[in-house]
Amino acid sequence: MNDIVTERHGSLTLIKLAGEVDLSWSGRVRDAILAALDTDSVGVDLGEVSYIDSSGIAALVEGLQTARDSGRRFVLVATSKPVFAVLELARLDRVFTLVPDLAGVAEAG
Amino acid sequence: MSATTAGLLVRAATGDDARAFALLAELSEALAVSLDLRRTLPFALQRIADYMEAEAASLFLLDEETAELECKLCIGPIDLRGLRLRRDQGIVGHSLTDKAVIIVADASSDPRVYKRVDEQTGFVTRSLVCVPLTTAKGTIGVLELINKRSGEPFDATDAGILRLLAAPTAMAISNARLANDLVEQQRLKREFDLARRLQKLLLPKRRRAGFPLLAVNLPAHEISGDFYDYFDLPDGRIGFVVGDVAGKGLDAALLMTRAASLLRWAGKDGLAPGEWLRRANEELCQTTHGGRFVCAVVGYYTRATGDVVMAGAGFPPALFYQAGTFAEYRSDGPPLGIVVGQDFHETRLRLGDGALYFFSDGVTDVRKGEGRLGQDGVRALIEHYADASPEVRLRAMISELRQLRLVDDTTLLLLEETRARAAVLLLRQAFPAEAERLRAMRADLRLALDRAGVPADLRDRLVLAVDEACCNIIRHAYAGGSGDIVLSLHRDGDVLEFELRDDAPGVDPERVTPRDLAECRAGGLGVNFIDALMDGWRLQPRAGGVGNVLRMWKRCPAAEETA
Repeated sequence: MNDIVTERHGSLTLIKLAGEVDLSWSGRVRDAILAALDTDSVGVDLGEVSYIDSSGIAALVEGLQTARDSGRRFVLVATSKPVFAVLELARLDRVFTLVPDLAGVAEAG
Repeated sequence: MSATTAGLLVRAATGDDARAFALLAELSEALAVSLDLRRTLPFALQRIADYMEAEAASLFLLDEETAELECKLCIGPIDLRGLRLRRDQGIVGHSLTDKAVIIVADASSDPRVYKRVDEQTGFVTRSLVCVPLTTAKGTIGVLELINKRSGEPFDATDAGILRLLAAPTAMAISNARLANDLVEQQRLKREFDLARRLQKLLLPKRRRAGFPLLAVNLPAHEISGDFYDYFDLPDGRIGFVVGDVAGKGLDAALLMTRAASLLRWAGKDGLAPGEWLRRANEELCQTTHGGRFVCAVVGYYTRATGDVVMAGAGFPPALFYQAGTFAEYRSDGPPLGIVVGQDFHETRLRLGDGALYFFSDGVTDVRKGEGRLGQDGVRALIEHYADASPEVRLRAMISELRQLRLVDDTTLLLLEETRARAAVLLLRQAFPAEAERLRAMRADLRLALDRAGVPADLRDRLVLAVDEACCNIIRHAYAGGSGDIVLSLHRDGDVLEFELRDDAPGVDPERVTPRDLAECRAGGLGVNFIDALMDGWRLQPRAGGVGNVLRMWKRCPAAEETA
């Protein structure tokens, strides 16, 4: 089911999403991302996301822009196949930093 | 109200002139409630003359066409009705031209006074006063009083009171004219409505699904010079006619009526198309004059063999679209109703799974920006909607034409064999337009697409497109309001058709545009997704300003059925 879990990993906040990210709760996803970016760099774990719509994509784009403006890192972790297909469709697959797992965050950084 | 008028009113309402105020009130009321000036105005003029103790009074109205003043009404010993004066003749003319109240104390010494009436009748005009009748649209006439019974000349007080009395008179005339104009407009509208209804009766009724001919006629004005027809012959052939009468308006419409019945009559005899046109031409030449003529295509379609045979008379080329390519069939003969003894050659073609389009020149003449839609524009339109079912396609093309500017009557006839199977309903569901409902909708749609044998990749993309469309309906069409969305999914041959209906306020399709993807920002991606994922889509507000219908389609050949 739809779920947001936030974990601290050193200087990074990992936001784990699960379920179908759609209009009904993408606003909460956005708020969680922006709140975490206030203090930390952020990774969004999309491994358990089976569906994402354009409002979910918009929340990720806003996170990316906010991070860039404040000099923090913003990475997408373990992007699932359905999510990647939508990123590709929006031609955003090369705009985000995509890493396979938490170990990759350090490397990408 | 000017200071002097206000002063007069105060005086009139109090002192000795309280009677004037009472009269003003009485006239105002009588004139305000009546639209029948033939009764009210003579009464008003008589009361004015009596009150002002004048020997004669007359009312002149301006005739806009001749720019002359004509006496419409008069009180007194001489009947001046019908007397016409130019704008520079007499005190009446000067009062109108200068928009001024004019008092003449001694008429015999004023060169502006029009003397002819006195000369002809022996009446002696001693003194007179004229006031213009002024309305919001300007000065429409003049009120004139002649000779005080006391023998005194008219003075400024008389002129002031007369000016007060002129105001309700002018307003009453103006109101009555507006009412008359309205009645006349309504009469014309009723007649045009009747003509249009009669014309519509001439057009054949739309047949049930599966009939190979579909047509639409969009008149540029109240009535149309275009027509179309189709009918069954006893031998199984289907006859069709599409035509266009040169010119617009009522007489073009009358000729259209005649040409339509003539062509139907000849076609029902089962004549070969060339002979069919030849006969109609002979008949129309006898009765068509004044540079009018009729362009038409007539033909037969035999369903059993797929053969089309047709002949044209000055009609724009027919377009045949099959497997992504166009062929053009030009009219060989000249328009009907000009020269007798013409031949009209016949063209044959095999319809197969192609689509044969006939457009009146109103279609190619449609204004698009600075230029016209033209043949290329029409071809682009056909290609763009090629995968939609004939009904959806014709409706989409018509709604595109409507958004451009029609300059002429526009008619479109489509001959196309329906696909082997009628559209099959795969899913229909209604749900409240709320984001929380989308998950369940997606699940149902996924299931329906799985059952239809749609590959998983494509299935997920189609679900995304429909979901995005629903999001836009919830966010932008309902925009906080509540209502339902009805989703239906059909398979029509190789094409999947998605339809979303809502009851939200009408959305302007022009305002729904994809954003530039090169620009990286949040929001507004939904339309891009729909554009990218579907083969085509069409948003149409429903008639009446409430509700929208979004149709999206995607080519997806049905999976091979396994034995």
